Amino acid sequence: MTNPSAAVATTVSKIYGSGDSEVRALDDVSVQFEKGKFTAIMGPSGSGKSTLMHCMAGLDALTSGNVSVGGTELAGLSDKALTGLRREQIGFIFQAFNLIPTLDAEENILLPLSLGGQKGDAAWIDQVIDTIGLRDRLDHRPSELSGGQQQRVAVARALASKPAIIFADEPTGNLDSKTGGEVLSFMRRAVTDLGQTIVMVTHDAVAASYADRIVFLKDGKIAGEMTEPTPDRVLDYLKHLGE
Amino acid sequence: MFRLSLKMTLARKGRLILTSLAIILGTSFLSGTYIFSDTLNKTFERLFSDVFRDVDAYVRSSSFVEVDFGGEQRSSTPIEALETVLAVPGVKDAVGDIQGFARIIGKDGTPLGADNGPPTFGGIAASNIVGLWNIEEGRLAVGPTEVVLDKASADNGDFVLGDKVRVNAQSGSREFTLVGIANYGDVSSPGGATFALFDQPTASEFLLKPGLVDAFLIQGDGSLSDEELANAIDKALDPADKLETLTGAEITEETQGQIQTVLNFLTTFLKVFSYIALGIGCFVIYNVFSITAAQRLRENALMRAIGASKRQVATALLVEATIVGVLGSLMGFVAGIGISRGLSALLKAFGAELPTKGLTIQTSAFVTTMIVGVLVTIFSAVFPALRAGRVLPLAALRDTALETIGSNVKRFVIAFIILALGIVAIMAAANDAPLGVLGLGVLFVFTAVLIMGPGISRPVALTLGQPIRKIRGVTGGMARQNAARNPKRTARTAAPVLIGVALVTAFASFASSFKSEIRDTIGSQFKGDFAISVSNNGFGGLPITLVDEIGALPEVAQATGLGFATITLDGKGRFVQVINPKTTAGLIDLEMVSGSQSALSANGILVSDTRAIAKDWSIGTPLDIVLVDGTTKTVTIEGTFVASGFTGSYVINRDLFADTTNTLFDNSIYVTLAPGVSADVARAKIEALSSEKGLGKVESRAEFIDAQSSQIDQFFGIIYGLLFLSIIIAIVGIVITLLLSVFERRREIGLLRAVGMTRGQAWESITWESVITSFIGAVTGIVLGIVMGAVLITVLSTNGISTFRLPVGTTIFILIMAFIVGVIAAVYPAWRATRTDIISAIATN
Repeated sequence: MTNPSAAVATTVSKIYGSGDSEVRALDDVSVQFEKGKFTAIMGPSGSGKSTLMHCMAGLDALTSGNVSVGGTELAGLSDKALTGLRREQIGFIFQAFNLIPTLDAEENILLPLSLGGQKGDAAWIDQVIDTIGLRDRLDHRPSELSGGQQQRVAVARALASKPAIIFADEPTGNLDSKTGGEVLSFMRRAVTDLGQTIVMVTHDAVAASYADRIVFLKDGKIAGEMTEPTPDRVLDYLKHLGE
Repeated sequence: MFRLSLKMTLARKGRLILTSLAIILGTSFLSGTYIFSDTLNKTFERLFSDVFRDVDAYVRSSSFVEVDFGGEQRSSTPIEALETVLAVPGVKDAVGDIQGFARIIGKDGTPLGADNGPPTFGGIAASNIVGLWNIEEGRLAVGPTEVVLDKASADNGDFVLGDKVRVNAQSGSREFTLVGIANYGDVSSPGGATFALFDQPTASEFLLKPGLVDAFLIQGDGSLSDEELANAIDKALDPADKLETLTGAEITEETQGQIQTVLNFLTTFLKVFSYIALGIGCFVIYNVFSITAAQRLRENALMRAIGASKRQVATALLVEATIVGVLGSLMGFVAGIGISRGLSALLKAFGAELPTKGLTIQTSAFVTTMIVGVLVTIFSAVFPALRAGRVLPLAALRDTALETIGSNVKRFVIAFIILALGIVAIMAAANDAPLGVLGLGVLFVFTAVLIMGPGISRPVALTLGQPIRKIRGVTGGMARQNAARNPKRTARTAAPVLIGVALVTAFASFASSFKSEIRDTIGSQFKGDFAISVSNNGFGGLPITLVDEIGALPEVAQATGLGFATITLDGKGRFVQVINPKTTAGLIDLEMVSGSQSALSANGILVSDTRAIAKDWSIGTPLDIVLVDGTTKTVTIEGTFVASGFTGSYVINRDLFADTTNTLFDNSIYVTLAPGVSADVARAKIEALSSEKGLGKVESRAEFIDAQSSQIDQFFGIIYGLLFLSIIIAIVGIVITLLLSVFERRREIGLLRAVGMTRGQAWESITWESVITSFIGAVTGIVLGIVMGAVLITVLSTNGISTFRLPVGTTIFILIMAFIVGVIAAVYPAWRATRTDIISAIATN
């Protein structure tokens, strides 16, 4: 591997407001996410973890610093170029309302590809669909799927275009622990078996323990890291972080 | 509760503006037509009280024929009787008055005044104060070579005193010397009419017949009241002259009444279209309230959860409707003032300037607009309000606005029952039930289709969207699904388009059938090479001497004139066709069923076969008729012909009028050329006799047929123009629905943008959704319009149209328009969609 990083943030800052009401959501953060790894971002509310993810995914503009995804510098890109980058290089999994209600499961999975006017890699998509195990539900509308199934479809959509990186924002936040565990296992397998790169924002120690590495944020700054986490170690660390 | 609703209403300015917009549009045309009508009525009322201000008594013939649309044709008054009137004690002065047909020819050879415009009059300007005319410049006309013009005509024609002025009237075309320019009351010309004024003997001879005038205008010396004066005059008149005397007040009132009838016809016509626009606006208002009520489901559920009663929730929405209704109607009324100005300007553009400046704004127009506007708004909000009240408190937990759709079976059963009633009504109308029944039937059919709407809008949207999905891939596919996802909403949004398009298509079916009918009949009945015609709405026409002048040309083999006359026949005033049977053969073919066209005698009449059958008449049946001058005659049916819109139902010989005082014009002259004559040479000669003197337009056979059928286009053009407002309201309806949908699908749009939909694709998707919605209305409207057009033509087939023609051109035009409407309506909503902030849209809370 010539470039081990799927996405890199270099001294990024995001400031809302100015003067007395100034809020530094991200304060001079530098971080990189390795290819083929499952990384979790943790931190208390307001620590800037969602902002970091939005900025790295090209959804929000930085105040200063730079982000590159799959080798492309985000700074100075037009809205159209950013949209294209999100479509081809980035996958998304949100906490809820991940799917378009008027499209069936298969159309939802292929949505980013269709928007780009592409067919995608048929063998790969087959493999993804088999991995999430919903082949018999492909013609179902989101309203006909359970919450866990919907999230699995969302994972498949994020994988379909073989993006450089997948961002997941509390993907199991709306699920019970059993279905949540299933979805996390799929994400884990996407990284281990299929070689994908996932960055997940979460505040759930159990969810975070599925990751290879955890980046902790506090007050807009990197507060620490942990590799090969277990739920207990994560909880301990968070307790320590809260002090 | 009321204060709370008020606060909640005002808190949502966007929604307030959207709802108001629909009401403003609906009410503005209404108030515009009311203000315009009031202004017209007031103007003419004032004009005629000015005109007859100095007239204390009025003498006219008591013999007349009443015709449709409130008009009457009255006989003439012998001028000798004026001596009798002047001798009556109490009479200070009296003059003859004529309002005849005269067309002033401009210096460039073309007549002043527009074709189909305001009338062109010839009259008397006499040298005393009873006259209606005030000389502004020069003096009154004296003798057979002098003329006075109204100031507007003199200005428009660039005439100055001493100029030669050519004038056409019943007895031909003549040149006069302009000796004076006059004002009518205080205005330069009443309502855009033109006037050529002469002394009494010249006017009688040139405009009417020597020794005759239309009426006498009489001024008293003040010793008697108007009633006493009128009685004294009436007693002095010779009963053999068949004259009657009216007071000044009576003739003023009668004239005002007559003009009122004509104006009412126009204003009723405008009002019909303004109520159609309002009805369409109703749909838009109803739709907005339905959508917002559905979107406020959570808010209403929360209200219910914390203890508001069903009634309170419903009342809150009705209070909002009332507020919006009052605000919208107020603004609509103000906008209506602008619209009435626009209507006045339109009238001016057609050459009929109102003789007053400013508008008549009456309280009644304001009150009507407000009441109708507010009631319509509340009425449109009742169902959504009741539905809002029925919301379950638990619904506060759900997210998206979903409108439930009732059972389609129930919907279709109700629709089919109403449809069946409509068909029964139309069938009844076909069997001679009154026209109101036909209207009711049409209304039922419309209602049935609108009830069916939500049941069929989804499959229709999916079908229409299919090709778009094929061509445009995922953006087209999503547009298709979005157009189909809320069938009720889509149906309500498409309904205004449907109504407007159905009306236009039905009218277009009529127009195209009418046109082809005209082409066919004229084509088969008119055999000549050239036609000379004049368009003046049945007032005046071509001097009957012209046909002989043309016939005398060496290039012309044959020429015949066709005119109209008003007679009382079978108990009613009727327009009958007047022909010269000696010259008509081979030029005009009446398509006789029995009898002979060229053998028609002076005391004979030809009737259409349908009339003859309906009345059980046959050859030899005697009919009593009364001419305008009171002459009674008995004519005998000498033949029957195939009924057509071109020839009407009755044809008589022009010799019938030979020994009467009736005025007679030709409306058109038909010409066959002598063999071997160059058409161009002949045309130049004929034009020199007619069009160069401004008497009529010379057209070749093909040109004439085109011109006759295109007259239909003019008339229907006005109808399409009036329906244009409905189209605008329909566009606004689509805009509002899309805006609300975009707002409602904010999260979805944010997600799409996040996973890679470009702004262009978002725009495209919403545009296609809009186009599909517009097409649902257009396609169903076209189908409904064509079906109704076909049915109505069949029902009304006895009135001259028998074959149905598909309005192909109009249909294609409507489809293109529907596409453009869809694209335009999507502009603002699509722009709003592309501005959706992705992060806040996808935020979980």
